[in-house]
Formats: sequence, C-alpha cells, structure tokens
Amino acid sequence: MNALIANPTPFEASVLDAYAARSAPNEAQAAALERFARQRLPHRRLEGWKWTDFNAALRTVETPDGDAGDDIVKPSAFAALNPLEFRIVDGRIETPAEEMPEGLRYGVMEAMATIPELESHPIVSLNVAMIRRALGIEVGDGVTFERPILIRHIFSGAAPAFVQTLLRIGGNASAHVIETYESDDATGGAGLYSHLCHMAVRDQGRFSRTVVQETGANAMLHAICAAKMDGEANYDQTTLTSGGRLSRHETVLHYVADGASARIDSAALIGGARHSDITTNVLHIGRGCETRQVHKGVVKDRGRNVFQGKFHVLQGAQQTDADMQANALLLSDTAEANHKPELEIYADDVECAHGSTAGALDDDALFYLRQRGLDEKTARALLIEAFVGEAIDGVAHDGVREILRAKTNDWLEGEA
Amino acid sequence: MLKIDNLHASVEDHDILKGLTLEVPAGEVHAIMGPNGSGKSTLSHVVAGREDYEVTAGGVTLDGDDLLDLDPDERAAKGVFLSFQHPMEIPGVQTMTFIRTALNAQRKARGEEEMSAAEFLRVIREKAKLVGLDDAKLKRPFNVGFSGGEKKRMEMLQLAMFEPRFAIMDETDSGLDIDALKMVGDVVNALRAPDRGFLVITHYQRLLDYIKPDAVHVLAGGRIVKSGGPDLAAELESSGYDQFIEAA
Repeated sequence: MNALIANPTPFEASVLDAYAARSAPNEAQAAALERFARQRLPHRRLEGWKWTDFNAALRTVETPDGDAGDDIVKPSAFAALNPLEFRIVDGRIETPAEEMPEGLRYGVMEAMATIPELESHPIVSLNVAMIRRALGIEVGDGVTFERPILIRHIFSGAAPAFVQTLLRIGGNASAHVIETYESDDATGGAGLYSHLCHMAVRDQGRFSRTVVQETGANAMLHAICAAKMDGEANYDQTTLTSGGRLSRHETVLHYVADGASARIDSAALIGGARHSDITTNVLHIGRGCETRQVHKGVVKDRGRNVFQGKFHVLQGAQQTDADMQANALLLSDTAEANHKPELEIYADDVECAHGSTAGALDDDALFYLRQRGLDEKTARALLIEAFVGEAIDGVAHDGVREILRAKTNDWLEGEA
Repeated sequence: MLKIDNLHASVEDHDILKGLTLEVPAGEVHAIMGPNGSGKSTLSHVVAGREDYEVTAGGVTLDGDDLLDLDPDERAAKGVFLSFQHPMEIPGVQTMTFIRTALNAQRKARGEEEMSAAEFLRVIREKAKLVGLDDAKLKRPFNVGFSGGEKKRMEMLQLAMFEPRFAIMDETDSGLDIDALKMVGDVVNALRAPDRGFLVITHYQRLLDYIKPDAVHVLAGGRIVKSGGPDLAAELESSGYDQFIEAA
C-alpha cells in the first residue's frame, strides 16, 4: 500500500499503514486515499497554506510520555449550562447516557466518504479515507432545541485521530452547538487531530455554533466545518482559540439559496510559540445573502496569528451584503500576524467590504485610562478585553457568552 | 495647591517647556492662553504624567507632594484630572462600566470605600442630566460614534463624577457651540470650591466669559511670559499673540 506514495514522510507512512491494517475500506474511501496520495500533506509552497505548513510540522510523529488513559477528560466549564453532552475521546464517539430528547435524533452513523465541494482539500481527502463512523445529530423540522448541545473533542495526540460530525438543522428549527477541542501539555502529544464537520441548515433554520480550542502547546489540530445554507437560513459561529503547535480552523459556507445570512466571528489569543490559523471561505450563490465577519487576534511572545478570509460572490448573487474585518493586536516585537482578506466578486449589485489592521496597543488610549485612575495592568487588560469583545459579544446565548468572556479574562490574567 | 517650578520638558529631544513657573492656589481658577505650539498641551500632559515627555529639570507638586515621581493613575488618585483636548473612543467598553471602574479604582487607591452600584447609578444619572447626555449614551461603548461636542460633554461628566482636587481643562472649548460652552461653565462653576483648583487652557476668550478666571497667564515659547487679571484675556483677544512670540 505504501507504494501509493513514493518516499512518504513518517507521518504519511504511518497513516498508510493504518489504512492498510483496516478491514475492507469502501471504493469511495479508496478513491479518497488515492486523491490524498496525489495531493500529499499541504505545505508552504501552496498559496492557501503558506503560513500553516502541516507537512513540515508533521514530518516527525511524536508520542507523549506514558499512557494518557481516561485522565485526559477534565471538567468542562460548559457543564454549568446543563448541555446535552457528547464526547469524542481520541476519535472514539460517546453519546449521552440519558434518553434521547424530543425533537432530536443522534447516533453513530456511516461517515461521509465524498464531499464534492471539498475534493481538492488534502486533509479532507485523508479524513474521509481514514474513517468509517461519524457522529450524526439532527434537529427535526420546526424544533427549537433550547438546551445547548456540547460536543467535546478530547485528544491525547498519541496518534493521528480522524473525526467526523454531521449536523442537520431542519427547516424552521433552531439549535446551539458548542464544540470544544481539549488536550493538555501533560498528556498532549503532537499527533494530528483532524475533524470534519459537515452541516446543512434547511430553509429558515437557525443554527449557532461556538467553537473553543483549549489545547496544549503541542496540539496539532485541523478542523474544517463545511455548511450548506438553504433559503433564509441563518448561521451564527464564534470561534475562540488559543492555538497550538499548529492549529487551523476552516469554515466553508455555501449559500445555495436566497436570503440566507451568517455571522462568522473569531478571536485568537496566542502566546508562547503557538500558532493559530482561521481560514474561511464564503460562497454566495443565492441572491440577497448577508455575511458579517470579525476576527480579532491578540498575539504575544513568539505567537503567530494567521487569518485568511474570502468572500466569493457568483454572478447571480445580486444584493449580496458582506463585510469582513480582521484586526490583530501585537503585544511583543516577535509576535506575528499574517492576514489575507480576499473578495472575488462577479455580481454587479453588491455591497462587499473588507479591512485588516495590525498594531500595538494604542498609547493614547492607555494614557487616557490611566489618567482616569486605572493602573497599567488593569488598563491594558481592559483595552485587550474590549478588543476581543467585538468578536465574542455576538454570541446570543448569555451563558455561553459569559463563559467565553471568562476564558478570555483567564488568558489575560496570564498576559501581564 | 499646584506649584510648577522652573519646569523643563522635551519630547524626542525637542525642548518644549523651557523653565515654566506657575502657581495656582487652592480655590482659584487660572487660565493659560497662548499661540499654537507654545507648549500648552505639553504642560497638561506632563502634569498628568504622560510618559512620552521627558522632564529634564524643575518640579511639579500638588499640596506639597511631588507629582513627577508618580504614575498617571497615582496622580489621578491624588486628584489630578485632565479634560482631554481629543478624548479617546474606547470600543467595547460600556461607558458606565468604565466610569464606575475608574471612580472605584481612585477611591480604592485613596483608601476610601467603593461606591455601590445603586448609588453610582443615581449619581451618574443626575450628573449626566447636568452635562446634557441622555441615558442611552451612558449605555453605549465609551465615546464611540459620539460627536466632538458629545465627547466634551463626556469629559465634563467625568469631571463632575470624580470631583478632583485639581482639574486641567485642555482646550475644552474647541469645537463647542454656545450652549455647550455654557454647560462647561456651569459644571466648572458648580465645582468651584475653596479646596479645589482649575487650570483652563484655551486659545480664546469666549470660554472665559462663562468661567471667570482669577488669573490669566500667557504661555509662549515654553514659558509664562505674562500674567495678569481677567482683563488680560480681553486684551489678548484684540492684540493677538504676536508680541509674545517675538518676545519668547
């Protein structure tokens, strides 16, 4: 099987071995593996990956010291919201022990083996080749599911792990999903954690998703969420990440019908030698769709904040209204921000805007606050909190928003 | 009260203040007038503690205590208030939260009890009315989207809330209409007290129609070149600053 890739890297050899050791992969998966063999792991010479080089980072496969075991499951701050909790521990799916609530269906199901719009994506090719089972959750038509649905991705990084979650929000339905990525320095190795989330929001469905990454400094994470939005569907996504050794959150939205809307905000709080990449691609196909996007990166030490945002507006997508803002706050001389906002517009009656800034804390603002009586540490924290706040204040769920704020403050406490 | 003695200050190796001496006794309002570039704003920032300016000689004391060794927030806690010529917008920070945090930080630094949320709300509503800011503005992010005039009202609101020992008003009148000028006068006049001092920095006499100063000083070339009574302001308005620029 290794003949599929000539001169494979240790990582590629290990996944090919794992693939070969499995029983009877289906044809679609074999095709996906062949695609991956052609595409190989993405590297810096590819435009979309120049700041996030998985090939270089995964050249060696590292294993953590000792056995991670069940110790890797820690209490979650979101438990306070009484969520319906799913856990995916090193790729193993655990559904809630309680009875299935009304209006919701979930279970472990056949994974998707092809996603046509993502066939050119090498890590997606690898993901769909490597796994058989996915977590599926469906919110029935017309159902308003009030309780937050918590999906915890907990991983040791001892070996590569591949995960899929498939979400379907019915017509006129609404739900709030929280997804957390958790690992820690004590047990966390640098094995790739690859998560593919595929979701469909049907006509007039309303779906909120909050993504929180709290992983160890070694964590190697690739998460991609591809959403198909039907007519007048609404999607609301907020990502809060503190990065990892290499971390990329991708969002791919397709407005396939008219009048859909989305808010896709993100905040990255990056210190040490951590890396965070937020990459989004919004494809406007239907008419009159609206996108709002705010990204805030706070970078200290030798951290690196990558943002790549693209709005792609097809010829028929008239009356598109889309705005993208990316701002980075650099708190040290060695902190780095790489932003690439892009607009590709073929329709002539649209309003699309983007803006990108990177800079230090504003000395004038700092002096103003200190003149009013705030000490330097408090003044700095207030300004940074306010800066990040623009990206997380859009979360409609009060409890979730408060937890995101608390997590931001925890990070800031360590900042001064 | 505020004593400035032979103050020299520079920014990026440019000398701006060159031996400025000034004393404002408690209970008095002094005005500083002067041409552009004479050092008016530098003076206000140096007294408030802005770190970009280097004090190369001289001293500043408030009630006999040296200010120059203190951080800006320590000076604020001692009662130094600066009404900024260009107030900042602070997106993401709610106005009331900010003012309450600042007020309580000052109180805490002075060893006083913090103001309760209920008491704060009562006081700020009353003072907001005085400066002509409605409740909705207090709930907005600090100064975001406010007009120039509204930002100056926000400065006056903070002056009224903090009740400082010594207030410096750096061109508070710039960009204000007659009604707003009158409001500034009302706030300052209401706060005039035997144990409080004011330094009003302005280009024009018109603000001094509403705030009657006890003394007027002309600042030119980084020094006080002339001092006099309230009449000096009117005199400057007709004769201009040219004589002082040459003299400096």
